[in-house]
Amino acid sequence: MAKRALITGVTGQDGSYLAELLLDKGYEVFGLVRRSSTDPLDRIQHLTSRITLVRGDLSDQASLIDAVAQADPHEVYNLAAQSFVGDSWKEAVYTGDVDALGVTRLLEAIRRVNKDARFYQASSSEMFGKVHEVPQRETTPFHPRSPYGVAKVYAYYITLNYRESFGMHAGNGILFNHESPRRGLEFVTRKITDGVARIKLGLAEELRLGNLDAKRDWGFAGDYVDAMWRMLQQDEPDDYVVASGETHTVREFCEIAFGRADLDWERYVVVDPAFFRPAEVDLLLGDAGKAREKLDWEPKTSFRELVEMMVDADLARVSREIALNA
Amino acid sequence: MTRALITGIAGQDGSYLTELLLAKGYDVYGLIEPGAPREVPFVAPSERLHLLEGDLRDLDSIVAALDESRPDELYNLAAISFVGDSWEQAEAITDVNAVGVLRLLEAIRRAGLDVRFCQASSGQMLDTAEAPQRETTCIRPQSPYAAAKAYAYFISVNHRESYGMYVANAILFNHESPRRPPHFVTRKITRAAAQIKLGLAEELRLGNLDAVRDWGFAGDYVEAMWLMLQQERPGDFVLASGEAHTVRDFCAAAFGHLGLDWERYVVVDEQLLRPSEAGVMIGDMSLAREVLGWSPHVAFPQLVQMMVDEDIRILQDEVDAHSERL
Repeated sequence: MAKRALITGVTGQDGSYLAELLLDKGYEVFGLVRRSSTDPLDRIQHLTSRITLVRGDLSDQASLIDAVAQADPHEVYNLAAQSFVGDSWKEAVYTGDVDALGVTRLLEAIRRVNKDARFYQASSSEMFGKVHEVPQRETTPFHPRSPYGVAKVYAYYITLNYRESFGMHAGNGILFNHESPRRGLEFVTRKITDGVARIKLGLAEELRLGNLDAKRDWGFAGDYVDAMWRMLQQDEPDDYVVASGETHTVREFCEIAFGRADLDWERYVVVDPAFFRPAEVDLLLGDAGKAREKLDWEPKTSFRELVEMMVDADLARVSREIALNA
Repeated sequence: MTRALITGIAGQDGSYLTELLLAKGYDVYGLIEPGAPREVPFVAPSERLHLLEGDLRDLDSIVAALDESRPDELYNLAAISFVGDSWEQAEAITDVNAVGVLRLLEAIRRAGLDVRFCQASSGQMLDTAEAPQRETTCIRPQSPYAAAKAYAYFISVNHRESYGMYVANAILFNHESPRRPPHFVTRKITRAAAQIKLGLAEELRLGNLDAVRDWGFAGDYVEAMWLMLQQERPGDFVLASGEAHTVRDFCAAAFGHLGLDWERYVVVDEQLLRPSEAGVMIGDMSLAREVLGWSPHVAFPQLVQMMVDEDIRILQDEVDAHSERL
């Protein structure tokens, strides 16, 4: 009989890659979807006939109990979040309600309906914030530097609590930045590759960015969802850092991205302090040694391949849009 | 005249802090849950004591309370504070104890108020792998209550670092008094000892007798919170007695004070054990001693005796009143 998985945040970047992976493995996939006045199904248009969409919202406990009861899942992947760090200062309370409290609601729903379901929590490198050591690993203390990071720290601990107190198979994937052509346009990587495509195709003349010296550990989302799945196949639940182990600056990202389109980034990029964060995180660099050892996981896509994949996709997309409008 | 707003004013700490601030000539405003009696138990009414209705779950009520009180200092003591059943009330506890703190901070920030903010953090969020625990000890909460307190701690630090707000965390270890409600283990013990002494009860059922806590007197701790807000710069301070005692020690001291042998009366009840128990909690308050010049006045034996004596007095009054009616 097919295994059943429930994915929250299925309409997001990671949700769409994970849904594809699980469908390939023969899972029956349920996706939690919020009611919305716009069509949020963009990223999973190609999958809607193959997955079952369940209405629900991390802000609503009862809807989660219903969703877990309906899907009756073997595995639950909690990928839903207000996931944009920059907005978490402006929408701090909402971020807390969904990213922190929402995880408690979901864990409670699982505990009440079927506590044998395995649970994956999408934790984040933003929990390390003002880093206590480099690189960061599973044992590194947290020091979050944003309302998003604070909420994710809470979610991490509450996941740990449910594992230790109720013996649930619940684990945290501490994911460092992971990108793809499906990344939201508000994220700096996608903002850059979209900007490159628009400049290359004559739709824009400059690209306004915040801190070019910010360093991140960027990997490919398609690689990272495989680590999520592997985590839930282990006999014992545990927490894992999932990272590329390389760090690059926003500047380097720009160089490769503009270079891919034969452009000189320095002619187009404008630093705009409006995009600076109130508090910047330090050098985020992950050590995925434990995941490599225990899950036999490692990233397949290099940094350059990732950037070029994203630029190519945006060039193709923007060209299509131009053709459609012509 | 200095104005203070105290959330959770009707609780143990709220009442001691109210007395302290009134004695210092403050105008004291207190937040009372809607529907709860408009009084601060144990505190005599004063024309400088003003009670407002409000709830940390309700942003509008917070905004209104700030508007009316215009405080110079805000002490956030409101919390669902009983750890034992935080497993059953995880969502409500997180909404009040975690996101509620963020609502307060955001309301202050948005109104542009210049308020000194003291957050009642908890020693329960610290990692007991290090003993004693101090300000630099890693965060490692082991219950939903403690996880919510960790969120509150980090979001307080976040607002201090991101916005330069005057926000200070009082990292409180257990602090008791005759005003502790009877569902806390200390008061449960002193009341039972008094009842047994007066022939009103025969036994006392408790959970883990080996649980180790660092118990101080609440009246001392509110003084430290006040001192924290008188510093030039905001900081985080562990407030503790620095002594570790087991529940067994507490029983021996309480029953012993009444000339009773605790072992004849205390029964261990498995149902009262927690799903996961914190390790050895003991705080190191050197920083508070150095910077604030604070140290507790009431030691463990005096604390226990004070609580037992008060319970004897209360019960004796009840017995006398009862026999007068007869």
